Amino acid sequence: MSDWESKQKQFIKDILAGDEEAAVSMARTSLEEGATPVEFFENCIAPSLQDVGKRFETLDIFLPEMVTAADTVEKVNSEVIKPAVAESQAGESMSLGKVLLATVQGDLHDIGKNMVGLMLKVNGFEVVDLGTNVPPADIVARAEQEQVDIIGMSALLTTCLPYMKDVCDFLEGKGIRDKYPVIIGGAATHPEIAEEMGANTHGGSAAEGVEKCKMLLGKL
Amino acid sequence: MTDPTDYEILLNTLDKAENGPIIDEKEWDHQYISQTVQELVQKYDISWATDDPMVPWDDDFADRVYAAGLEMALRTGVYCLDTKRQMLWKRGELEHILKRTPRQVTVGAGEDAVTVYSRKPDDSTRVAIFGGPWGVPVTEELYGPFIESYAQEPVFDLVENATLLSTHGRQIRAASPWEAVAGWQEAQMALEAIERAGRPDIAVGCVEISTTEVGELAGSTYGGYRPTDIHHAALISEQKTAYHQLIKSVHFAHTQSFSETYFNPMYGGYVGGGPGVAIAIVSGMLLVKASLGGTFCNTGPTHVHLDCSTHPDLIVATGLAFQGLARNTDLLVSPFVRPTAGPGTKEIFYESAALTIATVVSGASLIDCVQSATGNNTLYSSPLEARFCGELSHSVEGMTRKEADPIVKKLVNKYKSIQGERLIGKPFTEVYDLESLQPTPDWLDLYESVCEEFDQEFGLSVN
Ligand code: B12
Repeated sequence: MSDWESKQKQFIKDILAGDEEAAVSMARTSLEEGATPVEFFENCIAPSLQDVGKRFETLDIFLPEMVTAADTVEKVNSEVIKPAVAESQAGESMSLGKVLLATVQGDLHDIGKNMVGLMLKVNGFEVVDLGTNVPPADIVARAEQEQVDIIGMSALLTTCLPYMKDVCDFLEGKGIRDKYPVIIGGAATHPEIAEEMGANTHGGSAAEGVEKCKMLLGKL
Repeated sequence: MTDPTDYEILLNTLDKAENGPIIDEKEWDHQYISQTVQELVQKYDISWATDDPMVPWDDDFADRVYAAGLEMALRTGVYCLDTKRQMLWKRGELEHILKRTPRQVTVGAGEDAVTVYSRKPDDSTRVAIFGGPWGVPVTEELYGPFIESYAQEPVFDLVENATLLSTHGRQIRAASPWEAVAGWQEAQMALEAIERAGRPDIAVGCVEISTTEVGELAGSTYGGYRPTDIHHAALISEQKTAYHQLIKSVHFAHTQSFSETYFNPMYGGYVGGGPGVAIAIVSGMLLVKASLGGTFCNTGPTHVHLDCSTHPDLIVATGLAFQGLARNTDLLVSPFVRPTAGPGTKEIFYESAALTIATVVSGASLIDCVQSATGNNTLYSSPLEARFCGELSHSVEGMTRKEADPIVKKLVNKYKSIQGERLIGKPFTEVYDLESLQPTPDWLDLYESVCEEFDQEFGLSVN
């Protein structure tokens, strides 16, 4: 087993157990031993998170473990990786991009949206989750404030679909439609609905959402 | 006005949403829900293996599940999304609420009135059948005939609605005047449909289009749905509520309407796997009663990837939780039969039957059937699968859990390996004749062949 392989095996155990101390310390030690932050990210963090995502898809682990793993990695990123990247002035961000997620106005269904958020996180995106029942104007305002790369919206109720169109119309009205690729999902949506709502694309599942977000940002 | 004691309970509940401790939602999901469930699974030793009974008949096991659920309800309570506060009930308060639940209730009116009874495991008491397309989206033009096709089925004691896709040709927009227009139109079309079916006073599940309180308030004002109908409000997974659900419960109390309140814990979500779901169902049924009232309390635990309530683990979890509830309370509980398969497939019968049998013998009072093809696909639902569930329910009244177990196991084996394929089948328009509102010969043949199979294989006479 290569050094990275055994490290990754331990890393995945630590993040699933939420052992922040152990995960942070492994990252620190690796960097002290000469690995670059990018190497640690690519050889340890990224494969571990992908594995976590796959385990959730087969329900070998449940949602709380996936949340714990994502939170632990966030800690490693903020305490070790990001400062190291800043120091080395590589200027290269580990993040694939920043995605705003919201369940639209009127709709309280959030399980699917939360799963998408986690899968995005474990695949290297930053996620700004606005929660449920979010009015269109708030979605647009927060997208501007947070300077996100993608706007993602979820709806399970057909009565809430019009609010997705509102978001695209608002963006259009403000002359900033091209700045934000829009992806939609949730059981009330399908690809034709995405077109009707004026969105760029549709994700039928959390995994597809991740692929589509990568595509939207030209990272695939 | 309702009797003062009930009204006091309602006001006390509303107080809790304003005065409880403030909690962050993420902390709620992780510490309050996930960690508590995990701890209770260990403490009460709730587990089963794949070859264990799918319909357990061990009373002690059922009571442990109940005790764990009760502890969960008392320790965690409900989280109000609008006020970010935890609503807590003391043991005495919860016991008082449970003591006040009637052991039987008559809903509907006149010749269409039906009595729903509290049942125990292995009970021969009649189970009531709540048939309908359960929120399946449907076009405006087909709404009336669709509901009529269900209402005409004699086996249904109550009839549920579908989700209207537009109103007067306009898009329905939640929490807007259009939700009010749609709520009213739904009531009008549903009441006309039951009239045409010759069952004008049957209790109707409503207001389906009520995304927020707007649809409920509009659809059940004068001339709309009646207090003898069954009004819905939900506890949001996991153990959360919101002002618009609480507003509905105030309205039910003031109009003295019957209601079926419900809670769908997520399998694979914050409550974890089967054992966690079993505890969450007990806790959720106690809390949905405490927070929203509810003549009937319903649960449709949901698989996070398959969206169904018929995954093998969910059959065990729901049966066990119902046994615990039936042995320790008089709550009138119902399962939500939500298969992955849809009309025109054999699998829809197997999936629906497994959950139906497991819950009838475990003490369900009412069977909510069938949210076909998981309820998400426009027009993918037909009365025939619900008729099957209704008839099957009556044929297993009085069957013991021990007798039911091998049947349920065989049924689960018939579908478990292909659930992931989501055989959604065919829409209503392809399995029913729209003139006669009767199943097409092919669909009827398939139904009859499955009835025959049940007779041959299990000795159950379904039709
Ligand atoms: C659980 C549930 C509830 C829970 C929600 C709890 C919660 N915290 O989310 C409760 C009980 C609160 C609830 C309430 C209601 N519900 Co509901 N609910 C469901 C149910 C059973 C499962 C939904 C679910 O969580 N599935 C699992 C998740 C993981 O799937 P998902 O959300 O589709 O997400 C996946 C993909 O779609 C995708 N995805 C999701 N979002 C996004 C976003 C992006 C950007 C991308 C890329 C991908 C993506 O990835 C996810 C993972 O793979 C469905 C029926 C069903 N079988 O699906 C009905 C259903 C959605 N509900 C329905 C209805 C009608 C209601 C009510 C209006 C009922 C009523 N009359 O009171 C209320 C409305 C409350 C409100 N204002 O929101 C209808 C909707 C009909 C329609 N088309 O409009 C359904 C279809 C059931 C039915 N037939 O009646 N419900």
